[in-house]
Amino acid sequence: MSKFSDAARARSYRLERGLTGTTGVLALLAGAAAVVVGMGLLGEFRAQRPVADPIALDFLRQYPEVTKGVAIALGVLLFVLGLRWAFRSLRVELRPDLVLDRTAGNGLRVVSGAVAEAVRSDAEGIDGVAKARVRLVGDEQHPALRIRLSLTDGAEVRAVWQELDKVLGNAKSCLGVAELPTAVHLELATVERQRVQ
Amino acid sequence: MRVLVRLLSCLLGLAIAAAGGLLATEVTWWWVQPGSPPLLVPWHEWLRLLGTVNWASLPVRITAWSVAAAGLLLVLFAAAARRRDVRLNAPAPEITVTTSPRSLARTVGNSVRAAEGVTGASVTASRRRVRVRATSALKTEDQLRPRLTELAREVVGALPLPHTPSVSVVVDSPRDRR
Repeated sequence: MSKFSDAARARSYRLERGLTGTTGVLALLAGAAAVVVGMGLLGEFRAQRPVADPIALDFLRQYPEVTKGVAIALGVLLFVLGLRWAFRSLRVELRPDLVLDRTAGNGLRVVSGAVAEAVRSDAEGIDGVAKARVRLVGDEQHPALRIRLSLTDGAEVRAVWQELDKVLGNAKSCLGVAELPTAVHLELATVERQRVQ
Repeated sequence: MRVLVRLLSCLLGLAIAAAGGLLATEVTWWWVQPGSPPLLVPWHEWLRLLGTVNWASLPVRITAWSVAAAGLLLVLFAAAARRRDVRLNAPAPEITVTTSPRSLARTVGNSVRAAEGVTGASVTASRRRVRVRATSALKTEDQLRPRLTELAREVVGALPLPHTPSVSVVVDSPRDRR
């Protein structure tokens, strides 16, 4: 298990989960703070003060330029970060081509679909594999294979592995790459599908 | 859950961008044209309203509780959107192999159902533990459980798992109720 093969398992949700969770924590803390103030746990006087406290507003009015400047800067920052966040969440995974020759004026690349299709047809030839789905993920600097194998009931996992290792070895030697990080997901004991005649 | 978190994440991003954009435009407008009515958001009115309610008033408390509850929900959604894949031993260093908990449960379930005296079985599985609930019309729990536990352990043991999950078996039999 390497860093790249591990990353190839599925689309990463780290950013989405992290930001949603952080927003949740902030909202929880803000709400809890307001509840605590409202219950008078920070003093009855504080609980009876208006939400838009005149003391705080007067303080802001003393420094109008600073208040406005900070508010505008904060607004622009939130706007930019919010848009970036939204677009990052919508982004789909890349299907990078495999670049075999990077010398200038001499580019040689195998399109993503061709590699995937070759590995898929080889993998489906393995005894015990009912169906294979293969795609290239990552980026052009670090391409990786994602393979999803549906095994028939009773298929020997270790035997499938050995065969799969050969398939991957073949693919690597055909493409002339030293290593190709691979994430394999096995669906065990799937019922073999009936082919439509 | 993962799709939901992705959707929520996108909506939250857009909401924050919208809030930031409005804040910047309103404050800029107010700076350039002091004394004129606000551009899009009636924030003078809001400020006046907020000046009339105190922290202990009912609307403020309801809002505070709802914000806290919404935050808690977001935290729970984000926590639940994790991958539950079960790792298998990798045959080579540059390969990662996983399977789904459902696959594990299906494999165990198939062999338990094929065992003698079992009429049905439901299995739930995770990285740590496999729970089998079998029903039997003819045998009692005491007769069947050791055999099924052994069988389930065997099936799980045949898979190249780095940590063998613990196996628990419960047999539901009408003969135990007599």
